Amino acid sequence: MRVRLTPLLLLAALVFSGVAGAADAQPGPRWLGPKKPAKVQRVVTLAPSLSEMVIALGAGSSLVGVSRFDTDKSVEKLPRVGGFVDPSVEAVIALKPDVVLVQPGPGNQRPVERMAELGVPVLLLPLHTVADTLAALRAVGQALSRVQEADALVSRIEAIRSRIREAAKKLPTPRVLLAYGFEPLVVAGPGSFADELLRDAGAVNVAADAGSAYPVYSVERAVRAKPDVVVDAADVDVGKEKIQALPGLSAARWVEVPSFALLQPGPSLGKGLEELFGLLHPGVQVR
Amino acid sequence: MTRQGRRLSASRVLGLGAAGLVLLAVAFAIAVRFGEQPISLSAALGDPQSSDAVIFWSLRLPRALLGIIVGAGLAASGTTLQGLLRNPLADPFVLGVSGGAALGATLALALGLATVGQVAPGLFGGLSRLSGPALLAFAGAGGSVLFVLAASRGHSSRAPYAALLTGVVFNAFASAAITLIKTLSAPDRLGEILYWLAGSLGYERGATLGLAALLQLAAIAVMVALSGRLNLMMLGDEDAAALGVPVARTRRLLLLATSASVAGAVALTGLIGFVGLIVPHVLRLAFGPDQRLLVPLSALGGAAFLVLADVLARVSFAFFGNELPVGVITALLGGPLFIALLYRRGGAPRAEGRG
Repeated sequence: MRVRLTPLLLLAALVFSGVAGAADAQPGPRWLGPKKPAKVQRVVTLAPSLSEMVIALGAGSSLVGVSRFDTDKSVEKLPRVGGFVDPSVEAVIALKPDVVLVQPGPGNQRPVERMAELGVPVLLLPLHTVADTLAALRAVGQALSRVQEADALVSRIEAIRSRIREAAKKLPTPRVLLAYGFEPLVVAGPGSFADELLRDAGAVNVAADAGSAYPVYSVERAVRAKPDVVVDAADVDVGKEKIQALPGLSAARWVEVPSFALLQPGPSLGKGLEELFGLLHPGVQVR
Repeated sequence: MTRQGRRLSASRVLGLGAAGLVLLAVAFAIAVRFGEQPISLSAALGDPQSSDAVIFWSLRLPRALLGIIVGAGLAASGTTLQGLLRNPLADPFVLGVSGGAALGATLALALGLATVGQVAPGLFGGLSRLSGPALLAFAGAGGSVLFVLAASRGHSSRAPYAALLTGVVFNAFASAAITLIKTLSAPDRLGEILYWLAGSLGYERGATLGLAALLQLAAIAVMVALSGRLNLMMLGDEDAAALGVPVARTRRLLLLATSASVAGAVALTGLIGFVGLIVPHVLRLAFGPDQRLLVPLSALGGAAFLVLADVLARVSFAFFGNELPVGVITALLGGPLFIALLYRRGGAPRAEGRG
């Protein structure tokens, strides 16, 4: 009985482990479909962080369509072409883009392949890690003929990272739990974007023992871990009071992320890292 | 069914009831003893400052109690509804409860309504401690049952059948509406919605648990009190009426009690499936179809089953590094268990007193 249940349980665990960073078959940015025109003038993006990249590289005016989840003021008026797992191929094709920027995922593979088959150059940009994000910035820079801007931006981010790492070496190591939601308790686990930033900022992620990047974490384990700091990165406070009241977590210093830049593998990751550092080491100046 | 004709003697009720209580006590003991973290009982009971004590008193105890409250309500309601609707496939969610509750909770989650204050300011006591999704789930469950019952009225002779059909259609409609909300909400909210729909036991405060326990006790008391009448009604409405049972009134009372019970359960734990379907059938296979025996036994059995399933859900963290929703466990355990029992008995499950 138990033997037969194991695969089922595994399957269930996979189903409920959220959008764990599924390993891409081919990591790194890659192209699908025809070759892009030499001068890219019309860009469609399928994720907010990709729109941010285009804007950060100074090519915001070339955006002609964005995802349903884009909230940035500068793209407010643009047509929407669907979501992360359900982009509308028709809407994308109708905008006659020179390039479509896509965060590849198991959910959007078919429609994205279809766009490429129909003659739209597609640039796939995995965004699981900090390295992914920097590679994506460079690739977008190349695609939009903004190589210098991209290099400058990447160097700035790398400079911030190394400064913060240096500063963190001289500071005590706080034990941190970073929560994306409280009911259930969803945290930044190993391999998540925030986990990398926590390590950069000189913290120990107490949820490093979890099974996936964004696991539903055991409250018992969180209480037992007695983190020094709990970073609240949840956009809804459902269940927060209950968790906050638990001995073992009530003694922790609770801080809230000032913006969701921290959660976005986009061009603002440098800012996110600085914010996180400020939350974990209040009053410490990084020069 | 050889046991069917057996009279209900006081000693048999007491014996089975005691056995059920012992089973529940064992399940409870296992639930507070085992979990993701090994704890030392001596530290938990001796040193209130230790994290063992926190885990034991603030986490495991309330969670096990919630499992008992919800499991008892779901299984007793399932038993009652299977008899009332004369349909072995009836489960607690069949009258549109699941659809209505899920719709309410999904709305709350998608809109990011966290606290009761954002939904209905001015509540107090245990109610103000509920979360937004819980409150909207309760409202949705209650509202949908009332709607289903109102929509299926005027079919007095076919009332069970009409209510069942209306409930099924309402659930299908609600699930389409939920899918619509899911497609329109941000991807980071999806996980929460999925988790809620799968059903899981969380950590509720004492006041909330007290309220929930009162609601379930009252509802189960009504079901137990009317179980004798329900036995007669399972013979058919005319026969029952001829024997002096106020059929329409009994049916209304029982529908009200089961709906209140299920709405209370769903509001706190989401849609935990299988408890209300499997437990009544297993007990019916074992002890025959007498509702007077089945309702209290289902309450005890459902409580024990859910508490034990939740132990597995919590222990699973060690294997997956991720806590599974208990609804997954109940379905994975319940399905095979049920089919195995059915094959061993070689008979089909029945909800009625006579074939």
